[in-house]
Amino acid sequence: MTDPDRILLLITSASYRAGAFLEAAGRLGVAVTVGSDHRNALGDEAPDSTIALDFEDVEASRAVVERLHGRRRLAAVVAAEDDGVVLAATLAAALGLRGNTVEAVTCCRHKDRFRAALSSLDVPSPRFLVADAGEDPEALATRIEFPCVIKPVSMSASRGVIRADDPEEFVRAFRESARVARGSAERGGGTGTPPRPGPGHDAGAWLLVESYIPGDEVALEGLLIDGALRTLAILDKPDPLTGPYFEETMFVAPSRHPDLLQREIVDTVSRVANHIGLREGPVHAELRLDETGVWPIEIAPRTIGGQCARLFEVRTGTALEELVLLHALGRRVPDPVARRASGALMIPIPRSGVFRGLDGVHEARAVAGIEDVTLTVHPGQRIETLPRGNRYLGFVFARGPGPEDVEAALRAAHRRLRVRIEDG
Amino acid sequence: MTEGVQISFSDEARERIRAFIEDDPVDGLAVRVSVQNASPVAPQYEMALIESHEREDCDLLLDGGGFDVVVDPESAKILDGTRIDWVDSLQGAGFQFDNPNLKPLGSEPLEGPLVDRIRRVIDERINPGVATHGGRVRLVDVRDDIVYVQMGGGCQGCGMASVTLTQGIKQLIKEAAPEILDVRDVTDHAAGDNPYFTSAK
Repeated sequence: MTDPDRILLLITSASYRAGAFLEAAGRLGVAVTVGSDHRNALGDEAPDSTIALDFEDVEASRAVVERLHGRRRLAAVVAAEDDGVVLAATLAAALGLRGNTVEAVTCCRHKDRFRAALSSLDVPSPRFLVADAGEDPEALATRIEFPCVIKPVSMSASRGVIRADDPEEFVRAFRESARVARGSAERGGGTGTPPRPGPGHDAGAWLLVESYIPGDEVALEGLLIDGALRTLAILDKPDPLTGPYFEETMFVAPSRHPDLLQREIVDTVSRVANHIGLREGPVHAELRLDETGVWPIEIAPRTIGGQCARLFEVRTGTALEELVLLHALGRRVPDPVARRASGALMIPIPRSGVFRGLDGVHEARAVAGIEDVTLTVHPGQRIETLPRGNRYLGFVFARGPGPEDVEAALRAAHRRLRVRIEDG
Repeated sequence: MTEGVQISFSDEARERIRAFIEDDPVDGLAVRVSVQNASPVAPQYEMALIESHEREDCDLLLDGGGFDVVVDPESAKILDGTRIDWVDSLQGAGFQFDNPNLKPLGSEPLEGPLVDRIRRVIDERINPGVATHGGRVRLVDVRDDIVYVQMGGGCQGCGMASVTLTQGIKQLIKEAAPEILDVRDVTDHAAGDNPYFTSAK
């Protein structure tokens, strides 16, 4: 009897994705070593089941993993979220495993590099500039067009992303976004790459200022297999994202946009991925749609964040994480058939404070089409709204015959939820 | 055998269901009651309002007392004799199932050599480890070669609890008791108020 294939799964201790990936690995009969940024409590008792890695110190982590590879041959390295993609690419290259290049994933991790890369591709792309968080926003405000959006170059999930419509708003928004970016940079930033060199820079806190693109926003969830994009879902975001903050609340599939536009979305993501050199593994792309075309906002070499990947399983009966692991192992990846519409609601945080409870969960679950309601913060935990907020309150999942039914179910369930928050 | 299946509702539950149906603009709604997970530790039931086209030919149709109750045959076998109530407590309000067919986990004394081996590995190898993160693990039950555990302290609600379970607890228990098929976590993680790691974007 030979050992099963072993995957190194890179997950930070703040991930929402650990359970879903481990369950998928269990169903596939794949052995897993979890590489995390903290030592597991049972790491000494179950050696090689978990290893501690510094996601920022790629070279040191590579040495640890190469020693592991000598003891337990790894068949694949998979990053569950953004924080691990640079390390995963480095390790895959070092071990001769399937993966993207470090250059390609690094480009995706930095919004400024991504924007610069797109400038040589024939796709709509907003005008942009990159600013040190320590720069004078009043001086900057004289050089930019409005409306604009300010965003930290290497953060995700809309954190620190703020729209400004005039110089006065810009100054406030820039300072707020800089505070969020500094907070992240002081904690390590999670980019897996060192901050930009240069004197006087503010702990690696860089901001991208770009033109605001009006229009609907969609996401594309896909899998790159030897450079070819397999689209798994185009997800509509039915709630308008017009700012000043961009809190994502809902994803619904299938998309209700016209077929021709959906084909353009797929074609755009495929061309962007190819242009920046992504060739293998999951991609999650965010795009804006207006009368001039499809605007790629960002593309990430990972699956959709939070617990939202579950909407894919609700829709097809197959977990997205299983497809990712099968592909990483070089096995045949099935093409799951969508059996119904599905959607996910990220329960919005109505105000900052101390979370005390979520009422109405049973009533929300009783709404026709609701699959589940999950809570991902604990009583007594401090929660914050955007632009600083870095947690999801919880998730609601729904299924239905069509996307309009799913959206209606999610909204009906949300109306029955009552969040208890105390000042503090 | 699904003939003569009995599912009853308390007055309060019946009133709530009627209110949900009346609130919904769709006519002809029925309540589908199903068993999502027949785990004796944490059985999961679903109640959903459905339209007539969502009924299947094989479904059983019961009278809920003012509304139709639709049950699929598999769920009916497990739900026979169940009483559904509506409870409103500090933890929240919702439907509660009193099902005589699903014996709660941990309701019988745990003893025997297999239990002793599992307890020993929890006491001597698992708990000293998780204690370093303020956590603890308790054996809840062993049924049909499946071990049920509950995590407390820093493990309850911890973002890495699934890693500790899958990559640590499960492996150590299976190492000590190879006949064990699976180790399942029955913790109410949403109630954990001091988790060691919390998830973030």
